[in-house]
Parts: sequence; structure tokens; C-alpha cells
Amino acid sequence: MAKSLEIRLRGISATFQHESRGDITAVKDLDLIIQPGEFLTLLGASGCGKTTTLRMIAGFQQPSAGEILFDGANVTNVPANRRDIGFVFQNYALFPHLSVFENVAYGLRIKRQNAAKIDAGVEQGLRQVGLQGLGGRMISELSGGQQQRVALARAIAIKPRVLLFDEPLSNLDAKLRVEMRSEISRLQEELAITTVYVTHDQEEAMAISDRIAIMNEGRIVQIGKAEELYRKPVSRFVAGFLGNANLVRGTALAADGGRVTLDIVGHRWTVATDATVTIGSVVDAVVRPEAISLSRSDGALPGIVEGRVFLGEKAEYRIRTGDLELLVVQWNPTAGELLAAGDTCSVNLPAAGVQLLV
Amino acid sequence: MTGVNVSAQPMAPHPRSFARAAGLFAIWLLLVAFIVYPLVMLLLRAFLADGGFTLDALFAALKSTSNLRALRNSLLLAFLVGAAGTLVGLAFALALDRANLGPRTARLIDGLTFLPLISPPFTTSIAFVFSFGPRGLITYDLLGIKNSQMYGLTSTFAAETLTYFPIAYLALRPMLASISSNFEEASFSLGGSRWHAFRTVTIPLIIPALANAFLLLFGCSLADFATPLILAGSDFSVLPTEAYLQITGMFDLRSGAILSLLLLVPAGLVFYAQERVVAGRSYVTVTGKASASARRDSLSTGAKVALLTFCVLTVALILYFYALLFWASIVQAFGANQTLTLDHYRVIFTEGLPAIKDTLIVAIIGMPLGGLYGIIVGYLIGRTKFVGRRAMEVVSMLNYALPGTIVGIAYLLAFNDKPLALTGTATILIACYVFRYSPTGIRTTIALLQQIDKSMEEASASLGASNLVTFRRVMLPLILPAFFAGLGVVFIRSMTAISATIFLVSIDWTLITVKILENMTEVALGPAAAFSVFVIAVVVAVTGLLNVALRRMTAPSLRISRIGT
Ligand SMILES: Nc1ncnc2c1ncn2[C@@H]1O[C@H](COP(=O)(O)OP(=O)(O)OP(=O)(O)O)[C@@H](O)[C@H]1O
Ligand SMILES: [Mg+2]
Repeated sequence: MAKSLEIRLRGISATFQHESRGDITAVKDLDLIIQPGEFLTLLGASGCGKTTTLRMIAGFQQPSAGEILFDGANVTNVPANRRDIGFVFQNYALFPHLSVFENVAYGLRIKRQNAAKIDAGVEQGLRQVGLQGLGGRMISELSGGQQQRVALARAIAIKPRVLLFDEPLSNLDAKLRVEMRSEISRLQEELAITTVYVTHDQEEAMAISDRIAIMNEGRIVQIGKAEELYRKPVSRFVAGFLGNANLVRGTALAADGGRVTLDIVGHRWTVATDATVTIGSVVDAVVRPEAISLSRSDGALPGIVEGRVFLGEKAEYRIRTGDLELLVVQWNPTAGELLAAGDTCSVNLPAAGVQLLV
Repeated sequence: MTGVNVSAQPMAPHPRSFARAAGLFAIWLLLVAFIVYPLVMLLLRAFLADGGFTLDALFAALKSTSNLRALRNSLLLAFLVGAAGTLVGLAFALALDRANLGPRTARLIDGLTFLPLISPPFTTSIAFVFSFGPRGLITYDLLGIKNSQMYGLTSTFAAETLTYFPIAYLALRPMLASISSNFEEASFSLGGSRWHAFRTVTIPLIIPALANAFLLLFGCSLADFATPLILAGSDFSVLPTEAYLQITGMFDLRSGAILSLLLLVPAGLVFYAQERVVAGRSYVTVTGKASASARRDSLSTGAKVALLTFCVLTVALILYFYALLFWASIVQAFGANQTLTLDHYRVIFTEGLPAIKDTLIVAIIGMPLGGLYGIIVGYLIGRTKFVGRRAMEVVSMLNYALPGTIVGIAYLLAFNDKPLALTGTATILIACYVFRYSPTGIRTTIALLQQIDKSMEEASASLGASNLVTFRRVMLPLILPAFFAGLGVVFIRSMTAISATIFLVSIDWTLITVKILENMTEVALGPAAAFSVFVIAVVVAVTGLLNVALRRMTAPSLRISRIGT
């Protein structure tokens, strides 16, 4: 198997000319290195430029500035058909006039392989996605999930050096989505092809990726492993995007050796941090709802339950404490633990559950 | 070198290659030569005298009472045909969409409405003569009327309505099907009667479609040449026949040109109105799923019975006309001697053979040219960007939108002399048909391309295909239905149309339709009927074959309804 390929985006931008609204810069001066064999996900809200970035990597679209390197070679001006990529489209883009077999064979025929090799290649591709024996069907005779698999088989059959996915699972139902994402992940590991995957589903991103790049308004705001992003978000935006977050603001009272004591609405909280914080400065911190625990006994931080949603395996509360409203998640609440609207309670917070945004 | 580009245009699907530029140039050359140039020549002939621009001839034409009468008659006839044809079309659309007919009955009625669309233009007129003429089956044999006065407005109107109502039906039925019966049911369930629901919900929703159907038929009738020529008689002249008589009878090209241009004013207005109607159509809910909804119960039983009776009678009338035509082709002398004979067929295959040969040659050569031209121009307009794209779209539609009389006279004027002296050749006939009837193929191609997502081409590129390979292996197969549609229409029209080509036939190259006309004027009704039957048989066979090929060769998800409409 060929060695995996490294992708480097160096200062790329994409500008669209709009007749009515003037120019739109969908991607702004973006730098990104995708390691050989890595599974990288671009995650972000609708319209943040994920698809545009992916299309520039594919060569469907020319960057207005910057360059794209594959293993150090500048491919910015190389057309898509000579970049050796496999692309899986949101709408699958299968050829409706061809059978499943011919769809998968399409790229192999373009490479002018002989009949035996094509048969073997298609057979292997279909087997890899669990569709053996369906080669004779027409595309219109397949379910949505099967079409998705054909699209995947077609992309991997040419043994591309880069795999690109644009929200490939968004047309499937929830259960199938979970099943397919683990299959994509398994296949990618097996084939060790450098992969860029676009989604706006944070759970999908966390489940499937080696690293996640979170995008906002055409830029990457943070990149890292799922856990890093979750535990050490650099901004309120990132914190809010991966999971839920309470944003609180406090004044630093004391700092020593990786611990800072904050005054938050008149209460003292001690928080673990790597950053140096000047005493007296105002800092933002993120508190994960699932890091907070509630109890009926009196504690340092009294609160009152403003609202509750019971969801079976968990309960979500809105808790007011002083000027602060906190979202709190209680996992697996027993009947005795469950609080009701109007109850008073105490709010407890481990030092590790608060992340400073500095 | 940092590879900085000016903008992030999606990469053009094909390089700005020499081939494409050459292709564009060739298409423009053809469009100018066969559409723009003849029309310019027509205008010059009408408005240029003694080296200067003048409207004298136009004013003179407008002063002539006979011309004004022809104009008025044309408008009156077109209005009546538009109104009546739309109503008949609506009745058929309602019956087939809302009356819960069995699938077989529905398919049969639907298929029979197709018949007038593929017949030579005079079929109905000839059958009218057989039925209501001086020796007509109904007037003479049945009612014993000795000197039937059938020629005039009434029979022209009736024949044109029967010929053109299927166009209204085809325009109305999808619209009706797209209106979810939920709307009607909602109104119905609110306590209104069915009639109330129909009046307050359905009718307002299909008003744009009704207007569109009316305008379509108005345009058809305005441009119709064959029916009035046979049925209108001398007292009810209309513009296309007047123009024809000016040119062939008086050899007055200029008056003919002016008369044909009088036709342009209402035709242009109709075209403009139609664009407006189609643009304003958006509030009709076209979901594409509605037609699959379960039984529709929006008509009362009485209404269903009435509609059905009407449709069955109309279809029966059509069938009766075709039976009559066939009968006339196999008896000695229709109305006088009913002995069975094949003489008329012998005549058309001996004396008439040159016309049959010429027509088939023209149709067979024109067919692939028209099909190819249609998808190439459709692809250029629908999928590529170039300066003048919109202009190309408009110009390519011109000969189709204009009445045939105008196109015919323009060709006659343009190709009589150098630089393109084509009069009397097969080329001029083929060109006339290709440029007049390929717009169907162009439109179908554009419509199909709109259904084909851009990602299809990108997928092909990502799999390593060059633009040329992508076009050949993905786009071409997907727009194949449009190619077949183009083939079908050009072939059918080459076999049946006459309004433009009547000006272009010669001793060397003539057409069956022209022969039928000659036969009619010589009262050789038998051969006229035999020719008509022959044309219908060929057209039905060829469209049938094309439909089979279409079904075999194209993707099920991208089918167009059927060829020939
Ligand atoms: N072809 C185009 N022409 C003009 N503007 C475009 C084009 N493609 C994208 N844009 C604009 O660029 C911005 C980014 O679009 P992009 O498709 O990359 O977003 P995305 O992150 O993929 O969003 P989604 O999650 O909705 O797919 C949007 O504002 C969009 O309107
Ligand atoms: Mg997108």
C-alpha cells in the first residue's frame, strides 16, 4: 500500500462574487496541516465554509489566495481529475444511468484497467461496504443507506490517496447514521487514507475523528482531539459548540501553583489552570453542566431550581444562584435525588470542572 | 509563485478550449444564417423601398379592407379556438385526473387525444369535408342536404378546436394533478359543497394554467394555415391564407411579407403575455408527489358522468373522423361509389412516389441533425457560461415562436439569391424544419440539465475523468431523452407541417403535405385520404420505435413523459 499523504493548506481564501450582496469571503486565510493517514473533521455551523474548504482540497474550486500542498507538491492548479481523491457527496451523486457495478467500476474504467482487474476491484469495493451481490442492481433500486454505501465503494475503489466526505450521513435516519459512521471509521483505519470529513453534528465528529477543526466564519478557531477541545476550549464559541457550557465571569482573588481562586457572584471558587492569572483581573470560565452536582443539604453555594426537564437517564435543571443562572445535568437521578421546580439546593463544583478561558 | 487567483470561481466543467470556442462560433453562424438573416431580409423587403426606410406599404396594407377583414377574422377565429379548446382541454384534464377512471380507460382516452397532435394538419379538415361537405356522409347521405354550405367560420373553428384541444389538455393536466386534493378536501370538510370547493379553490389555482392554455391555442390558431385553406372558403379569409395567395397567386412578395408581419403583432403579444403568465405561476403548489395521492373525490357523481360523457363523445368523434379518412382511402369514390379498392394507394405509390421519397429523405436527414442541434444548443445554454448566452437562447427560439407563414416567406426571400441560394433544394426544407422544430429538444435538454446536479460532474472528475470523458459518459447518457424528444418532434413535423414549407417546395423537392393540398383542390379526395393515412402510419410507427429506444436506453429516474408532444 502506498504511503499515506500529507495535506497542507497554506493561507487559502475563497471569495464568491455575488451580484446583489457584493463579494462573500467564505474561507479566510486558512492554515491547516492534515497528517498522513489522519481522520480530520471540519466541524462548524451552517455557512461557516466547511464545504468550500473541502471543495478546494478536492479541486472543484479554486482558492482566491493561498496554496494547497499534497506531500509538499503544490496542487493548487491541478484539476480535480488529477488529484487522486475520492469524494463522497451529501447527495451521493451516483450515476442514475449505470448499475451499481458500473458506478463502482467507473473510476477503474477511466484508469483503463483490464476486465479482470475491474471485476476484482469492484468486488472488493462492494465487499468492503457490505454490498456483495448487489452489483447488478440499478441505483433507483437501492435504499438510501445502500446508495450511501455505493457512493463510498465508488470512492475507495480507485484507491485514492485522499478521501473527502461532505456530510455523507445527513440524509440517513439516526440509527443508520450511527452504524455507517462506525463503518466509515473502520474502513478508514483499515485503508489508512488521509481523510477530511465535513459535518455539523458534534457527536458524529467526536465519534469518528482523530482530530477536529472547529470552524467559524471561514476560519479555524480551534483544532485538536475531541477530548482536548472539550476540556480546554479556547473560547466561549468552542465551548458552546462541543457540548453545553455555562459561561461565568469572575475576579481572580489568589493564584498559586496551577490553582486560581475566583470570586464569582460573591462566592469563592477554586479552579485548576495552566495559565498565569494576574490577581484582580476579570476572567471568563466555562462550567460544564454535567460537572456540577446538586444536593439537598446546605452548602457553600445555595441555589433555587427554576426549571426542570426529566429525560429518563438524566435530568436537566435551570438553577439560579444569586445573579447567575446555571444549566445543570444530573445523570441517572434516583427518585430521592430528583429535585422539583422551586426547591432549594446547594451547588457543588469540583475544581477540575471549571475551565478558564485565557 | 504563490498560485494566487483572482477569484474562487468553481472550476469550469470544461476548459475554455479551442473546441468549445469553435463550437460556439459554428452555432452562432447557423443561427445567424438560418434565423436572423431571413427575418432581416423579410423586414427589409417590407420596409425598404427606393433605398430608404418607409412604412408606406404597411399603411397601404392597413387601408385595404380585405386585409383588415383577414386580420379581424384571424383574431376572431383564434379567440374562439383558444376559448373553446381550453374548455375542452379542461374537461379532459378533469375527467382523467379527478373522475377516478380505471387505468385502462384513462390510458385509452389519453392515447387517443394524442392522435390529432401527430396527424398532418389537414386530417381533421379533410374528415370534415367527408362528413359535412356537399357529398358528406352526414350532410348528404344522412340528412339529404343537397348543397351543403359548410365552408366558413363555423367549420374552421370546429376543426381547429378538435385539432388543438389536446395541447390545452397536456398543459392543464399536470397543473391539475399538482394541486393537492387536500385543498379541495379542506374546503369540502369545512362544509362547502363540491362545486363550491371547485369554484373557490381549484379554479383560482389553475387560472394561470388556463390562461397559458388559452394563449397556446390562440397562437396555434393564429398561425394555422392548412385548416382555413381547406375549410374557410372564400368568404372567411385569414392572414396566413391571404399571405399565401398574395405570393403564389399574385406573385406579390412584398404584400405577402407585410401580411405575414401583421400576424406578428398578435403573435408577439401572445408570446409576451405567455411569458408573464408563466412567470406568475409560482403559487401553484407543484410538489411532484400530489399526483400519487390516493383517490380524489372532489367531483360529484353528476359532474363525473357529465364530464365522462362529453369526453367519450369527443373521442368518438375523433375516432369517427379517422375511420372516415381510412374509409375514403379504400373506396373508389367517397360518397358516390363505395366499392373497395387499393387504387388510391397505387396512385400515391406511383405518381405520388416522388413526394413520399422527398418527404422521407427530408425527415430522415433532418431528424438526427435536429436532435443533435437540440442537445448541443441546450447544453451550451443550460450548462455553460459565455457572453451572449441569453441572446442565443432567444434567437434559437425565434423560428419556433413565429407563425410558420412568416418563417416560410422569410426563407423564400432570403435564400432566393446569393450568398445562400438554396431555393428549390432539399437543404432549405431541412433547415426550415431543423431550426423551426428543434427548440423542443433545446427546452427538454435545458429542463433535464436542471435536474442533473452539478455534483454528478464533480463525482466523475474526482474519479479521474477528464471533461470530455465526463460529458461523454455521464452527461450525454443523461440528456439522451432530450435527444430522442428532439428526434421525434423534428421527424413528426417534417412529415406533417406545411405552413412554412409550402413556400419552399419546388419541382425537384416536394412534400406529401403539399401533395395532399393539391389533391384537395383538384377534388382528388381518395389520394388525399391515402396520403394522410400513410403519414399517420409512418409517424405512429416511428414515434413508437423512438419511445421503445428511449425506454431501453435511458435511466428510469430521468425519463421524459413521451415523445411527440
Ligand atoms: N457557489 C457559491 N456562490 C456564492 N456563495 C457561495 C457559494 N458556495 C458557498 N457560498 C457561500 O459561502 C459561505 C460558506 O459556504 P459553505 O457551503 O462552505 O458552508 P458550509 O459550512 O458547508 O455550510 P453547510 O453546513 O450549510 O453545508 C456561505 O455563506 C455560502 O453562502
Ligand atoms: Mg456544506
